[in-house]
Amino acid sequence: MYHKFCRLCHSIVIAILVLSIVGCAAPVAAPSAAPAAEAPAPIAAGLEVCQGQNLVLASMTDQYVAAFRALIPQFEEASGARLTLDELGYVDLYQKLIADFVGQTANYDLMTVDIVWSGEFGQNQYTLPLDDFMARDEAELQLDDILPVAWTLGEWQGAHVAYPLAGYANVLNYRKDVLEEAGIEPPATQEELLAAAQALTDPDAGFYGMALLGAKGPAVAQDYMVWVQQHGGRILDDEGKPALNTPENAEILKFFGELFNYAPPGSADYWWDQRETAFRSGNVAMMEGWSIARAGYENPEISSVVGKVDIAVAPVKAGLEPKFGFGGWGIGINADSTPQEQECAWQFIKWLTSPEIQKEWLRNDGAPIRRSTMTDPEIVAQYPWMPVLLESFEKGDGDYRPRIPQYSIIQDALGTHVNAFIVGQVTAEEALDAAQKQVEDNWQ
Amino acid sequence: MIFRRSRHSDEISVMNRRSALERVVLTIVTILVVLFFMLPIFWLVTTSFKFGREAFAIPPRWLFFEFTLRNFQEVLATTKISQYLLNSIIVSTGATILSLALGVPAGYAIARSQSRILNSSAYFFLILLMVPPIAMLIPFYLIMRDLRLLGTYASLIILDTVFDAAFVVWMMRSYFADVPKEMEEAALVDGASRFAAFWRVALPLSIPGVVAAAIYVIIFSWNDFLFALMLTSPETKTIPLGILASFSAVEINWGKMAVMCLFAIIPALVIALFLNRYFVQGATMGATKG
Amino acid sequence: MVTTDHQISTQENRWLARVRRFRSREGAYWVMLAPLLVFVVAVAIYPLLFSFRISFFKYRLTDPNQVQTFVGVDNYLRALQDPTVLTALRVTLIYVAGTVIVELLLGLALALLLASEMRTTRFVRSFLLVPMALPPLVVGLVWKSLYNADFGVIPYYLKQMGVSVGRGPLAEPAWAMPAVILIDVWQWTPLLMIIFLAGLKSLPTEPYEAAYADGATRWSRFIHITLPLLKPTILVALLLRTMQSFKVFDTIYATTGGGPGSTTTVLNFHIYTVGMTFFDMGYAASLANVLLVIIAILSALYIMLLERQQL
Repeated sequence: MYHKFCRLCHSIVIAILVLSIVGCAAPVAAPSAAPAAEAPAPIAAGLEVCQGQNLVLASMTDQYVAAFRALIPQFEEASGARLTLDELGYVDLYQKLIADFVGQTANYDLMTVDIVWSGEFGQNQYTLPLDDFMARDEAELQLDDILPVAWTLGEWQGAHVAYPLAGYANVLNYRKDVLEEAGIEPPATQEELLAAAQALTDPDAGFYGMALLGAKGPAVAQDYMVWVQQHGGRILDDEGKPALNTPENAEILKFFGELFNYAPPGSADYWWDQRETAFRSGNVAMMEGWSIARAGYENPEISSVVGKVDIAVAPVKAGLEPKFGFGGWGIGINADSTPQEQECAWQFIKWLTSPEIQKEWLRNDGAPIRRSTMTDPEIVAQYPWMPVLLESFEKGDGDYRPRIPQYSIIQDALGTHVNAFIVGQVTAEEALDAAQKQVEDNWQ
Repeated sequence: MIFRRSRHSDEISVMNRRSALERVVLTIVTILVVLFFMLPIFWLVTTSFKFGREAFAIPPRWLFFEFTLRNFQEVLATTKISQYLLNSIIVSTGATILSLALGVPAGYAIARSQSRILNSSAYFFLILLMVPPIAMLIPFYLIMRDLRLLGTYASLIILDTVFDAAFVVWMMRSYFADVPKEMEEAALVDGASRFAAFWRVALPLSIPGVVAAAIYVIIFSWNDFLFALMLTSPETKTIPLGILASFSAVEINWGKMAVMCLFAIIPALVIALFLNRYFVQGATMGATKG
Repeated sequence: MVTTDHQISTQENRWLARVRRFRSREGAYWVMLAPLLVFVVAVAIYPLLFSFRISFFKYRLTDPNQVQTFVGVDNYLRALQDPTVLTALRVTLIYVAGTVIVELLLGLALALLLASEMRTTRFVRSFLLVPMALPPLVVGLVWKSLYNADFGVIPYYLKQMGVSVGRGPLAEPAWAMPAVILIDVWQWTPLLMIIFLAGLKSLPTEPYEAAYADGATRWSRFIHITLPLLKPTILVALLLRTMQSFKVFDTIYATTGGGPGSTTTVLNFHIYTVGMTFFDMGYAASLANVLLVIIAILSALYIMLLERQQL
């Protein structure tokens, strides 16, 4: 009796599982359906070398991955190549790429390269310097149209080890309805930012002034470095040696820590996704973050703050010459791929970054690198915040996080010890001393 | 052997010969225990049917939520989930066959042999089980690089098998030690070789033990994440790596994560619910005999 | 002709007899063990030796020239002075002690609670098996979501009960370690329950009959009969869980990443950082060897205790 009963229960559980899996096997359109693409762009010269090539692209699962999903079929049709997209999270992308480079397996022919990896990938000759290709095809590339700061995406010691793909500016997103109601002007300096965050925080109502990245690891390290930049601090000294524990940096860290008093308590464990979700769910008044997320706030499916958000350049410390944190992604070619694959990969980069395709790229959640795209009337009409972005790009600083081969050591040390400070385990000075020591111990 | 029912098993059980009050208390405790162990899984299953922000609604919606299959549709449309599943099946099957083929005869030999050296070689395999996987992974990765085997199924199967086979030896040794020798000895007297005694007599008697060992190897190799992270190529990625790809910088997407996780726990559910007899036996095989 | 044939066959017979004699003793067993030994030596021994050798070298995996420089015992000396390593060691010991003790007690309690062979208890037991079969990565991800400070189920109900959750279970320094231990407890207590159930069922019945006749209470029967008889099982369970607990990686990777600060950075996770983020292979290897020695010494202690029990 028992056996029959038990088996029946189990069968039902499994049957439900199986049915639910089989039941949704019907193909569907990609979620964030692209606005209907216009007539395919004219085929750029040179695409014919791709005929029959088989490439793999490793992409971070950032917003722009949706643009890859939409554009790659177009490229395949135009070129006759097969281009497989492999989507990876931030940490596993880095690990898989290093494994691929060190093993010289050339699993990935193309890869998205975070701006901070430029030094490491360049120094170790992991990605192909693109300068020969660029010199050869200079006539078609319209290099002047690409913003100067965008070239920091993948530049290392004068060589281009990755090509600009997606430029991000650190901007201030704020809830215009909330600020208006409180009678607060969008903060223009860091001091005003702190005051506004303080004024807008109301823990009893579950509403907070700022959303910040506090999670141990890359998240808190990168957010802290944003504040170092905005306060005129430095990560490296004049000789390029790490100088994390200067008194100025300790002051900045205290300021950064104070902001956490006006952030949701969970902030100490926020990664990018959680910070974005906190802002979109309407519990936070302000957030400094990458500009690429901006379009998502107007998407009612993932946002409760549609129409309530505005964007401004990121505030810097009063009296400082405004400079804005710049980051984003380049696209690199594996140095171990065959010359034919490398040639085709280069054709893909050329095609993707051409002014015509760039508009499509942007419309599908990509991020800009060209002045012509950012000033294009159609694009500006669709994304009215483009001028703010352009201003941030014009005064962008792509080096506020040192793009050196030892970057991951600095990031790991700051990621651990700044987090320890945020959660109240150590003082700011102790945290930075420990980080400095850890970096020096591991410096290679 | 292990679940032999003793006449006096009542003595052990606390559920028997109790006052009504005690029974009520114990029943409540049992229910709490079941809730503690099952609610996270229930949460995972229901979350896979909640789309977008529904998944992190506050207060949590356990039963009454907007039921949708959109997460499944998205996962099937944007990921290569079937490829990941196929890869996981290939790797688990390969590792299971290889580690059983190597481990079962070895376990038998250690259990039956009179030789001291042979007997104590069991400890060698135990030490192997203690090695931190990361210590093995890096050199193995370099070897596979030199052999040009990185990214193949073979590399992952071989490394999984090192640990899995050591585990099989340890388990099967104690299992065979419990199998009566008399029938094998009778076969030997009839002129059968030791191999025949193993193959024709001992092994058929030990199928439940082999099944139990196989179940564990399947679970280990299916669940492996660290080795797969370093040794797979885009074509040979297994399901745990697929789960990681469901994370992005864009937003929390618990629904999509839950769907990927659901695919990853299918074997665990099947084994725990349908093959639990062997599963229990496996857990105790290495344990009661030492 | 005939003689030679005969001679050959006698020789052959003698040889065969010798082989047979050998085979009848231990040879066959060696042959059965051989494939695995060859496999392990071919696949595992070289990496282990490599790992031992490289721990005396400075070797950065990402170096384009792959230079290896001999540095003697520098890596080990460095480990002794590295505050991160010493913290990680302390964290590891807390984690192992916490998980093993809680799981042991809880597993024993569960085994006693669910020992009867009634339909319902067997039904309940089959469900408790699910956690231990799940991929640790999935377990970590599920619990990370449950712990989420803003949207997680656990902080929500804690707040409802009036408990202040602060930065959330995984970000409060005082809570993070208990929180990750709870995950391990959730996944592995059922394993100990099963082992103890088997142990309980294989106990002899005579001592209980005697105690029953003497009118001993249930509690004293448990303390004076069940526990001592169960000692070997407990030791084996300890050995098994201690070995596994030292090697925890996936759940830490998926939940705290070792944070907040270094509160949950166990040694195995730190080795991963040194090896796979800094690519400092020599140092990572030396740390891995230290971890292996610690595990081996503890296991040897258990095994010695166990052998004494069985004599």
